[in-house]
Amino acid sequence: MKTTIFAIGLMAATGAAAPAFADKLDDIIGSGTLRCAVVLDFPPMGSRDADNNPIGFDVDYCNDLAAALGVEAEIVETTFPERIPALMSNRVDVAVASTSDTLERAKTVGFSIPYYAFENAVVANEGVEMATWEDMKGKTVGATAGTYEAIWLEEQVTTWGEGEFRPYQNQADVFLALSQGQLDATVSTVEVAEANVASGNFPGLRIVDKAPMVPDYVGLITLREEYGLINYMDLFINQQVRTGRYAELYAKWVGEGEPADLTIPGVYR
Amino acid sequence: MFNYNFRWAQALDSLPRMLEGALITLEVALLSMVIGICIAMVLTMFRLSGSRILSAIATTWVEIARNTPALFQIYMVHFGLGSFGIHLSPYLSLLIGIAFNNAGYLAENFRGALKGIPDTQTRSARSLGMTPVQSFRYVVMPQMLRISFLPMTNQMVWAILMTSLGTVVAMNTDLYGVTSDLNARTFRTFELFAIAAVIFYVITKTVTLSARLLAARLFRY
Amino acid sequence: MFDTALTTNDLIFLAKGAGMTLIVTAISVFFGTILGVIFGVFRYQVGPWWAAPLTFVLDIFRSIPLLIQLVLANAFITTVLGIRVSGFTIACGVLSLYTAAYCAEIVRGGIEAVPSTLRRAARSLGMTWRQDMTSVTMPLAARIALPSWIGLALGVMKDSALVYVVQVVELLKSAQILITRLQEPLFLLMICGLFYFLISFPVARFGGYLEKKWSND
Repeated sequence: MKTTIFAIGLMAATGAAAPAFADKLDDIIGSGTLRCAVVLDFPPMGSRDADNNPIGFDVDYCNDLAAALGVEAEIVETTFPERIPALMSNRVDVAVASTSDTLERAKTVGFSIPYYAFENAVVANEGVEMATWEDMKGKTVGATAGTYEAIWLEEQVTTWGEGEFRPYQNQADVFLALSQGQLDATVSTVEVAEANVASGNFPGLRIVDKAPMVPDYVGLITLREEYGLINYMDLFINQQVRTGRYAELYAKWVGEGEPADLTIPGVYR
Repeated sequence: MFNYNFRWAQALDSLPRMLEGALITLEVALLSMVIGICIAMVLTMFRLSGSRILSAIATTWVEIARNTPALFQIYMVHFGLGSFGIHLSPYLSLLIGIAFNNAGYLAENFRGALKGIPDTQTRSARSLGMTPVQSFRYVVMPQMLRISFLPMTNQMVWAILMTSLGTVVAMNTDLYGVTSDLNARTFRTFELFAIAAVIFYVITKTVTLSARLLAARLFRY
Repeated sequence: MFDTALTTNDLIFLAKGAGMTLIVTAISVFFGTILGVIFGVFRYQVGPWWAAPLTFVLDIFRSIPLLIQLVLANAFITTVLGIRVSGFTIACGVLSLYTAAYCAEIVRGGIEAVPSTLRRAARSLGMTWRQDMTSVTMPLAARIALPSWIGLALGVMKDSALVYVVQVVELLKSAQILITRLQEPLFLLMICGLFYFLISFPVARFGGYLEKKWSND
């Protein structure tokens, strides 16, 4: 008798409580749209085509994730400094925005396993004499505010104790300032540097050297407590690599060669 | 469903840096006002000079400053001049951008103030043997500054608020720049900007109150 | 310089941005004015003591950079309270209150400029407060306030350039997006500046004309 009442009570409790525990994964599937924050001044990861529609590696990645979930993808453009606030303010569900998995950020948002890894390069104005990355010492350098490379570069400038660091609000302004000669050098991902130099949009730029940083592993991000969704994204990334889609996207957007290795030897995730 | 955890302690740790930023903000605003007032005087004299070219220059300046967004003006100073090879640091770009805006608005205020000063005063000053410059300097200008003291105070408040636009030209030492830099690292958006808002409020209130006290002393007769 | 890669599509894209600027401005000025008139009349009517809390709140909107107001409102509503609203709504809400704060000052100034003897005369003719307000005070106050109000509306249009922080793509932001792709900063910024100027300048001149015309009689 007692057990029956208990069982009914339990069923009622779980029944009543169940909708309240619907997590973001359910919300996305229920709403039929996946809203991705993508940075669109960051070719080849994100940019706009001649009709100003979003294109790029991250855009395709978001579309693939939406397709896997069986929903429509909605691309929401954000700047680098704005992508985490956009997530926190529930303006987007996930950010497919080349977000470096720093421990500081992990205090606020939840990261998936890495879906891409960047190496960083030093890009300089042709008018500036530079042979190695250390020649940036004492120069005016800049990067996009809030990015992995900006934080690294600002620390370097502080350690050197000379020169000036300028954080611009977006990647385009950095390259604009660089080609105008307002900046002597910047640090950006090799992919972005090559795409911008090759585009011919910014005359007078050249890639000087690789920046001596640990490869910049980037993950998909969502809210910290959305384990269901994070789990799903982990498996999704694994499947992208397994099925060869990762290599396919790499060839489409980045070019020839071996796509970056997403595993770190000697340690579990 | 979303439970926000405030982390005020973490944000308050940054208070010293933000207060340093507030000093820079005040410095930029004050300098931009000084420059703005000087240029506005020159523009006002251009308009009074009777020369077509000079008054056209003044009118163009005033109308562009008043009819386009300040954000646009600051961006143009940095990247617009930059494409002509004139490179200004973020600090200078912001300062010049705000000074440009200030000058436009203040010149218009001065013009309004001049309307309140009868022509007869200048004429009597001239007939007392003063040169045109002297009569402007000793008769018209003091009255003009007095009439436009309140609009000048308002412009100072706007100058303080406009410093927040410096981030578009990579300014990172003023109050807004420091705050958004901290935000990019820690993402405590609400806490950090709430503190910045309080600091801005205190600054603007202090400025308006001291302007009121100053006015009471200067114009008591 | 005029050899540009700008296509018709890009112009449409810019025009959409301009449309967004105008919509945000129109909505904010509309609601801001209604609120501003209510606040202004209230402040005048109850006297400085009772209106102090309202005065304080409105003062905040005039003492903090709009950029911070937008960021804070966005963070508070969507992150702290966890309510799902669009950036457009937040932009319009903040700009409306911002407009209202300035508009209340203009309205109060307008009412105060109506000579109190005139109002007393109206009341002694047997008019009620409402009649005095609608048939005597408001028409006169509106005349005094209109030029400043036009200035305010234009100010809001220019300030709406800041709503990009809550992901609303307005004119200046769409120009920036095109600059990213086309790398013609000067040309695109000129177009953008010209647009603001072409809207703002004639209206501002009209305001100046009204001020001149009405101040002489």
